[in-house]
Amino acid sequence: MADPNSNRMAERRRSVAEALNGLFDPRTIAVVGASRTRGKLGQAVLALLKSNGYRGRIIPVNPSGGEIEGLPAARRLEDIEGPIDVVVLATPVGIALDALETCTRLDVKVVVGVTSGFSEAGEEGHENEMRLRRIMKDAPFRLIGPNCEGVVRPASDLQLTFSPMFNGLRPGPVAMISQSGALAGLMALLLGERGVGINAIVSSGNETDLTAADLLDYLGNDPQTRVVLCYVEELRDGRRFAEAAQRLTKAGKHVVAVKGGRSRAGSRAVQSHTGAMAGDDRVISAVFRETGVIRARESVAAVDAVTALAAGRRPAGNRVGIISVTGGLGVEMTDLAESAGFEVPVLNEATQTALARYVPFYGSVSNPVDLTGVVLANPTYVGRCLEAVAADPGVDIAIAIITFVPDQQFIEALAEAFDSTGKPVLIVWTGSARSNASGDALRERAVPVYDSPARAASGLAALAAMRGEVA
Amino acid sequence: MTQRETLENWQRAGRKVVHEADAKDLLQRIGIPVPKRDPAEGRCVAKLCHDDYPHKSDHGLVRLGLSPQEAKQAAAEMAQRIAGGTELIEQMEEGSVAEWIIGCKRDDTFGPIVLAGPGGILVELIDAAEIRLAPTEPQTAEAMVNSGPGARLLAGLRGAEPADKGALADLISRISVFFAENADLISEIEINPVIVRADGKGLVAADALIVLSPKSDEQENFT
Repeated sequence: MADPNSNRMAERRRSVAEALNGLFDPRTIAVVGASRTRGKLGQAVLALLKSNGYRGRIIPVNPSGGEIEGLPAARRLEDIEGPIDVVVLATPVGIALDALETCTRLDVKVVVGVTSGFSEAGEEGHENEMRLRRIMKDAPFRLIGPNCEGVVRPASDLQLTFSPMFNGLRPGPVAMISQSGALAGLMALLLGERGVGINAIVSSGNETDLTAADLLDYLGNDPQTRVVLCYVEELRDGRRFAEAAQRLTKAGKHVVAVKGGRSRAGSRAVQSHTGAMAGDDRVISAVFRETGVIRARESVAAVDAVTALAAGRRPAGNRVGIISVTGGLGVEMTDLAESAGFEVPVLNEATQTALARYVPFYGSVSNPVDLTGVVLANPTYVGRCLEAVAADPGVDIAIAIITFVPDQQFIEALAEAFDSTGKPVLIVWTGSARSNASGDALRERAVPVYDSPARAASGLAALAAMRGEVA
Repeated sequence: MTQRETLENWQRAGRKVVHEADAKDLLQRIGIPVPKRDPAEGRCVAKLCHDDYPHKSDHGLVRLGLSPQEAKQAAAEMAQRIAGGTELIEQMEEGSVAEWIIGCKRDDTFGPIVLAGPGGILVELIDAAEIRLAPTEPQTAEAMVNSGPGARLLAGLRGAEPADKGALADLISRISVFFAENADLISEIEINPVIVRADGKGLVAADALIVLSPKSDEQENFT
């Protein structure tokens, strides 16, 4: 039994906010299943938590005691003194359930269940699932997962996961909720590569207790969050999810969602046209549109959308100005923009005159602007041209297309041009791998950078949705 | 008896699909216009309504363009063919400029929703329905009749008279509220077609169907 003065159970069930406040800014984390054996989940969780610089109290829990990763281990959860904000379960399922039961008698805010072997395991997981539900019925704490990849919050140096996909993220405006841990990892990696900052990532797993709707409401209302990215397969409380999304989008935040998994069409007899016409997938599209959620077809397109929205710049209209070091990519970008409902209008005369100082006679100063390869020898030109196009009163969104770039000045000139305007600017940089320049200057500013016109078009579409065109 | 009590009685009686005549009685009570019954003169339609035959025309249970006398004979003849049906003789509606479908159902993910789009035979041709969460606010219902390809039909294509969009929006809003309030008892309501007349001249529900939910003790236990 726990010492009644130091580590007793809470008197009532914690609210979602209490539990998640504890989760994202914890003072004490207990890792059940912490291990010295490489390859074990608990070993990976503990090692990543330490190596990512978490500064609170970490308590490995392992029946053999001693020291693990240089930290004194508790043999049992009951031996830990004082309240525990977060308990991570990273053991085989039987031990995890025993630990979960113990948590009901302790002062725990939230449990993160990395462990698998519940409803997702079908028949074989059935008994575990039943026991899990029995424990959670009266549990005073809240549960993330089980069968999830964990929780990440860069601002708290918090890395509660066994996956290295989330390493090295910078703090920022994007919150992510994913029912698939692997997709969370993929999307985090892509966002990190582009320098898009992360407020929090939750892999929500089976959502036995806390659901995507709870997390959307909590993370969306965090003042640090500008965009919430969701990957969902099944929305158990879809109505609450939709209502939470609507409140957020009305308040000027963005929700980008990927709905995975095809509907089980025709599983019931259809007696009316309504039943046939309002199939699952159509209803999801309709409800997302009604509530202002931007629906992305798949995870990479969702990241493209989030990349554009995270920069926090709103376009006043749908007119796009394009500059390119090559004619072909400018034409492709124009085609994609126009077919997505944007205009690529002729630039005004003053802009054309300004551009003519830098663009040779065999280029083009209308729109798309063809700078030609001449600019490769004059790094500052590309910046000046981007500034001129962004300053054109007939342009709402500016796009700069570059291929390989020979030196760093080039990237810095683009970054300066980004600072010169408040309009959304997208960069298409097809040759970053072949360039002698680093994108740090762009990443630090969260400039949306894409590797192809098509990916940039996904970003453009998200900017359009932001103006309510898709709603 | 309240509308809810009527629904409960139907459910208690074991009905799953509620036929047109009874469905229209209920719709009329929530303020949705339905055709005049048993008119003394003018052109009539004769139908035989039965819970087991929701698609009446497939079974020869609809006859159009009859005199009141002919309609009575036709309905009696149909009643002899199908036992237990309810005869329905209505005035044929004139002045249609658009036929619309309005449906409500409980979506597995989002709960009550409402759908509105081109109805009648167009249902089979184009998939242009607008879908929203139910109940809808009046301004959402207005947005539904002003969105998508259906909006162009209602506005009057190539010089056709514009339809009464206000009446249609009112119907959408009204039925979505009724459905959402009773979504534990009803799994679907469908009015198809709604005959929409020219702007200012209203509309009428030409056919309707209510699908009841199974009683709670018959529902699958998901826990």
